[in-house]
Amino acid sequence: MAGTRKHAPQTLVVGLGNPILTDDGVGIHVLREVAARCQREDVTFVEASAGGLRLLDTIAGYDCAIIVDAVQTRAGKPGDVYRLCLDDLRAWQTSFYSVSTHSLSLPDALALGRSLGLAVPGDDALVVIAVAVEDVLTFSEACTAAVAAAIPRAVEAVLAELIGG
Amino acid sequence: MAQRITIDPITRLEGHGKIEIFLDEAGDVERAFFQVPELRGFEKFCEGRPAEEMPRITPRICGVCPTAHHMASTKALDDLWKVEPPRTAKLLRELIYTAFMVEDHNLHFFFLGGPDFVVGPQAPAAERNILGVIARVGLDVAGEVIRVRKECREIIQTLGGKVIHPVCGLPGGVSRGMSEEERERFARTAQSAVAFAQFALQILDDVVLKNKEYVDLILSDTYSHRTYYMGLVDEHNRVNFYDGNVRVVGPDGKEAARFAPGEYVHYIREHVEPWSYITFPYLKSVGWKGFVDGAESGVYRVAPLARLNVADGMATPLAQQAYERMYEVLGGKPVHATLATHWARLIEALYAAERMVELLEDAEITSEHIRNVPTETPSEGVGIVEAPRGTLIHHYQTDERGILTGVNLIVATNHNAAPIAMSVEKAARGLIKGGQVSDGLLNMIEMAFRAYDPCHACATHALGKTPLVVELRAADGTLLERIERG
Repeated sequence: MAGTRKHAPQTLVVGLGNPILTDDGVGIHVLREVAARCQREDVTFVEASAGGLRLLDTIAGYDCAIIVDAVQTRAGKPGDVYRLCLDDLRAWQTSFYSVSTHSLSLPDALALGRSLGLAVPGDDALVVIAVAVEDVLTFSEACTAAVAAAIPRAVEAVLAELIGG
Repeated sequence: MAQRITIDPITRLEGHGKIEIFLDEAGDVERAFFQVPELRGFEKFCEGRPAEEMPRITPRICGVCPTAHHMASTKALDDLWKVEPPRTAKLLRELIYTAFMVEDHNLHFFFLGGPDFVVGPQAPAAERNILGVIARVGLDVAGEVIRVRKECREIIQTLGGKVIHPVCGLPGGVSRGMSEEERERFARTAQSAVAFAQFALQILDDVVLKNKEYVDLILSDTYSHRTYYMGLVDEHNRVNFYDGNVRVVGPDGKEAARFAPGEYVHYIREHVEPWSYITFPYLKSVGWKGFVDGAESGVYRVAPLARLNVADGMATPLAQQAYERMYEVLGGKPVHATLATHWARLIEALYAAERMVELLEDAEITSEHIRNVPTETPSEGVGIVEAPRGTLIHHYQTDERGILTGVNLIVATNHNAAPIAMSVEKAARGLIKGGQVSDGLLNMIEMAFRAYDPCHACATHALGKTPLVVELRAADGTLLERIERG
């Protein structure tokens, strides 16, 4: 790891999502509840609607990161909550190829950050709490029922990560 | 039934843009379609809300250009209440906006356009990405890109008020002024942004323009379309991202229209196709003749190349020199080569940086008079800015209390939707014969698509990947081959 730490490890919790596209906002809803229940000097809470490089901009400088986001997979059902690490994300992709500026994946963005000498969390210091969702194409500030019901479980999952260090 | 090739980005958001290429029985390209998913119910979502919420709502539509939406929305509110912001507010807004253009244009060139040119379109897929670009230009350059972007983002965050989405826009002004200390600090950022923009143009020169193969590629007919072009210009017909009138020039480069933002409905009409949710804007005076080129077709393009084609020049000296050089090298105005937009983008980044320097040298930018409070009764307002990817239009209608009754947005990818389909179809037609498709060929087709950097109106996230799946199907629909990339 780069350098010696002169401070207590800083953790970033990022709630990702679009809060006006129904289930797409679940990450932000979860973040707000976690932030309300956890006040620690070494933990920063951020809401972000960004991905790839712009997310790298947000994560750089922290020792640990917990990312909360919506996910759609072929096998899952809305309301499932997954705990993922970078290796899980890497298994989903095979290259850094991009068709647009916003399509760079998280593992790629982090690898890029490391290659550029930015201080980004190590593989063992980054966790993704992902909630399987149903509707991300309709404008609404509320989640669908199954996803809304999953918020408390996702909140507990994040808090467990924070307590576990 | 014809064969079908689908370039189908699958994201976890289940609905990125999709390109489908249909082959005929001989295995040659018959048609290409460009589809985007429908985001449902935006108008309904907005109706009944106070119009002042739009500068905070609309940036959420698109996670890539939130600043552009925020600025177009704020200007629509100025127009809605018929209030003129004080000069200081306009300077501050334009500074935020040009800092955003510098940041976004650099991001685009190095991370998206760069892999095609700096590394090379024939390079293996494993290298044709940002890491390949870094390997070619070096870690120092990559580090500079990161630094300039970071400092520009600090300007946006300080003046705009939030990390990713600015919130400072108000009808009649902005919510925060600038201190003298900030002005000095930002001026240093602006200077280094100018130096970096010149450096980026030098890289383009060394790596792309001195390579005859690339220049031939840029100028090849496969990647050219003789269309109309649209962009904002100031009173001297020079490129301006933040304000001005809309100007349109024809395939011959002559002015075809010039109008104030509020007049756009008289010039632009939206065509609908049954196979796509996206509408296809076209020039009303020329008419919709289909997905075809030429002066008789109302199809027009927006974005960096279009803006430079539309303008008579750049408003700052170094950018003007770069502009003149581009047209000299590429054979005069207008340039129809789609790939030249990457070059135009760097010239715009230079203009944006020089403009930042100018704005920060203006003594009035630190004045405290940053808002004129509206006094008129609202009813209708239009705000137009040039987003990095092209002209962005916000149009609001309200009742007398300022509660929204109607919303229409035309984003850059709308204006370019027909051109994107045409560019992909033409590239595919030139490259796919007799049903023979290779990975390299697919990349050449995607280059046409990527040049527009389409923005699919959804906040994108970090999980998962954006693979492209190309499905080659036989005439009876059987899957013959599946090429997966990314």
